[in-house]
Amino acid sequence: MDTSDMNDAGAGQGLPNLDTSPITLLEKVRRQGRVWEDLAEQYGVTNPDPPWKVNLEAICDALSAEACALPVLERRWEEDELSEDLYADVPYPERQLLALAHSMIRRGLVNEDELAVRMKQVHERLTRV
Amino acid sequence: MSEHKAAPMVDEVSDFEVLEMAVRELAIEKGLFSAEDHRRWTEYVHTLGPLPAARLVAKAWLDPAYKELAIKDGVKASLEVGVDWINDMPTHFGTPSDYCNLRVLADTPKLKHVVVCTLCSCYPRPILGQSPEWYRTPNYRRRLVRWPRQVLGEFGLQLEPDVEIRVADSNQKTRYIVMPVRPEGTDGWSEEQLAEIVTRDCLIGVAVPKPGVKANAKRPVHPAVHPVQHDHDH
Repeated sequence: MDTSDMNDAGAGQGLPNLDTSPITLLEKVRRQGRVWEDLAEQYGVTNPDPPWKVNLEAICDALSAEACALPVLERRWEEDELSEDLYADVPYPERQLLALAHSMIRRGLVNEDELAVRMKQVHERLTRV
Repeated sequence: MSEHKAAPMVDEVSDFEVLEMAVRELAIEKGLFSAEDHRRWTEYVHTLGPLPAARLVAKAWLDPAYKELAIKDGVKASLEVGVDWINDMPTHFGTPSDYCNLRVLADTPKLKHVVVCTLCSCYPRPILGQSPEWYRTPNYRRRLVRWPRQVLGEFGLQLEPDVEIRVADSNQKTRYIVMPVRPEGTDGWSEEQLAEIVTRDCLIGVAVPKPGVKANAKRPVHPAVHPVQHDHDH
């Protein structure tokens, strides 16, 4: 992939260093997570997108515009890289979510262990009601 | 006999839904963005301009007699912003009688209203457009009625302990919008100016209007409050 345009735009710094090796926690989600197209079919829901998709988009926007922690062009480039191989068998937008979490872990914005703990807490919270 | 049926929903928590929330919560806790930043970006994705309900609120802020009418008879007050609940079928489905009662819930400095539909996703569409996706999630519907203060906090709305929260549960016949308190700093504003800051989320009750904050305004890009070090070698 030619990234010269992005380098010219100032978004290329550090891109060649993206570690695309699997992350255990995200591999578990990739293997076990039920994607929206399956859930929608099972429950007879016609909404083409999962309800969390808009939240995901807002996270991406906020990470770029509010914190400059993950500029949009870098995130998109990394998502493309990860989608070609590691998350190739995951549909959109689940793939975007996995790629975002992958980028955030590799950049040290969150770490895998704390994310695993938080996922457990969130799951307990959502299934308590 | 009611023909009203709960809309189908995915009554299952997926690992992807959990992952999204976990990532978002950690990002907020680490100061990468605030819960309110996130809510505003979410709203930005969804809405394009002032809604009829925003005009109703703006008009009520300016005209005490109209405010009284809005609180007493939301359906009649809606006519003045171009929404006829009785004769039109703005949603193009269902029967008009399904949507014949609108209540306008007026906030005060010590009372905050917020709207939900615990049964399905009842929403005052003729005056407020399509409901946001989060409004239809079991997460919002089930938790808001139990822990309203916590859920509002997740939207970035932190209320003082002495502010009472009332959750209005929409149903087949009755829909609600919230009339927030007019914010300070808006003296002398026109109805049009005021309507711009009464965003969708303010009308549902998960946000409060602020001068300068419009759902359809381009979000400013500003230097990070907590800049992130991109060099991972250290």
